[in-house]
Amino acid sequence: MRAIDQHAWTNRWRHWHPAEKLLPASGLLVLTLILPPLTTAPLVLAGMALATVCGAGVPLKTLLSVLAAPAAFLLTGIPFLAVSVDFAHSFALHLSEDGLRLALTTTFRALAAMSCLAFLILTTPLTDWMASLRRVGVPAGLIELILLIYRLIFVFFERALTGHQAQTARLGYSRVDRSVRSLGLLAGNLFQRALEQARRLEIGLLARGYTGELRVLAPKYVLSRTRLATGLGLVGLVGMTGGLLARGLL
Amino acid sequence: MTAPLLTVQGLEYIYPGGVVALRGLDLSIERGQKLAILGPNGSGKTTLLLHLNGTCKPTRGEIRLDGQPVRYDRRALNGWRRRVGLVLQEPDDQLFAATVGQDVSFGPLNLGLSEAETAERVREALAMLRVSHLADRATHALSFGQKKRVAIAGVLAMRPEILVLDELTAGLDPYGVTHLLGALQQLHDTGTTLVFSTHDVELAYSWADRVALFHEGMVLCQGETAAVLGDREILHRARLRPPLLLELAEALRDGGGDRHWRPPRTREALLALLGGRFCPSKDGAAVWEGEPLPGHRSRGVAE
Repeated sequence: MRAIDQHAWTNRWRHWHPAEKLLPASGLLVLTLILPPLTTAPLVLAGMALATVCGAGVPLKTLLSVLAAPAAFLLTGIPFLAVSVDFAHSFALHLSEDGLRLALTTTFRALAAMSCLAFLILTTPLTDWMASLRRVGVPAGLIELILLIYRLIFVFFERALTGHQAQTARLGYSRVDRSVRSLGLLAGNLFQRALEQARRLEIGLLARGYTGELRVLAPKYVLSRTRLATGLGLVGLVGMTGGLLARGLL
Repeated sequence: MTAPLLTVQGLEYIYPGGVVALRGLDLSIERGQKLAILGPNGSGKTTLLLHLNGTCKPTRGEIRLDGQPVRYDRRALNGWRRRVGLVLQEPDDQLFAATVGQDVSFGPLNLGLSEAETAERVREALAMLRVSHLADRATHALSFGQKKRVAIAGVLAMRPEILVLDELTAGLDPYGVTHLLGALQQLHDTGTTLVFSTHDVELAYSWADRVALFHEGMVLCQGETAAVLGDREILHRARLRPPLLLELAEALRDGGGDRHWRPPRTREALLALLGGRFCPSKDGAAVWEGEPLPGHRSRGVAE
């Protein structure tokens, strides 16, 4: 998760308007869902991977590791889709052609769809999404809450990590029973510290004139027509090629 | 002299649970000074600072801003905090927004400034602390020193009359301290009053105009830096040691015997005081008029 976040903040397309990234990603996602996946999905996958790796400069390894989790999930599902079990006569396993096709289309479609989402989360930090959501009318309170949690996750994570390291240094995890005990102590301690942290954060915010609203300057991005057109072009190209391939015209 | 900007009289504070943090202390903050609240850990410095912007309400005693007793209703507090900016010791307690620029924009927006004015204040504050290049960075990706500077920028962007800093150098390396002090000096030169707490005698000695010596919830004495830190007896009572610069200079003076000398406040001033008498010998050992420096008879002083 931290790797995803880090690339979202540092990739080459970080300063693009979120809509310029949302347009091709959502366009390709829709294509993946409506066109026959066996021909379209590989194109979408390739397009998004190229954009993420060659365009935004996110290492291929990171992209693969983001896709690895859902891929593993899909792989475990393939046998169950491809194989049908027959209890009617005697216990028998069938490898049906329909099942196999279903397994393949599902896998392709899911992976392609995941690549669209991976492109979005790897190239755009959460704050940009929140700013966009606020613009389309999501309540400010909800967005403030999400952003605050986002910020505090990292503070909490750091505390948890240092706490764990300190316990390990004093052999807190040298045996199973000790590990259980240490982990319990750490959790209790973190809970207490989170409450203290909240209280001190309030002091800090009050000192800066906090009156119940966490208003900050929204990030400003200039929408580039060229980039939007390019994104739209990519969607059109993939759609046409995928559609023609599906009809066997290419 | 005009009335002090902020005065504290007979301040007592007892934490819920009965721990007495402050026991009747007096303090006055004059316009345009750099005041160090100097004292060992746990002497109540932070609690005092939390009173200076109305975060804590005294159990007994009075705080006056511009000679007027302060009030604790919401409006009065807002006006008070507009004038007195507080920077907490731990930057993570203060930074809440996801990006640096956004965090710094929080204070100015709360002052009711327009977005354009706010953006300008953010630029200015970040530039002053030399962290302009971090404006678009994620807050959680910063180093401790960077976080500290951003936290200060967030308060500075509100242009307070008094900037109160809790343990301003805690956790910073010498380079970071030098940079931070440079930025604060620049701020001070434009008329901001600075109040900072520290347990670092050397820092207080070299940088503060005045020192309030703190011990167990009381101000033992408040006055000109050189006078307070030259008083060995009172320093001893506060469980602090005199600054090394001063001790060294005094040791040198005892050999020289000039009654009207002014103690050096910086490293450079001390070296200048040593002047011609101090010349590093060729093999690297320091020599003072042909003899090793007092107190270092065998090896001399390296600097």
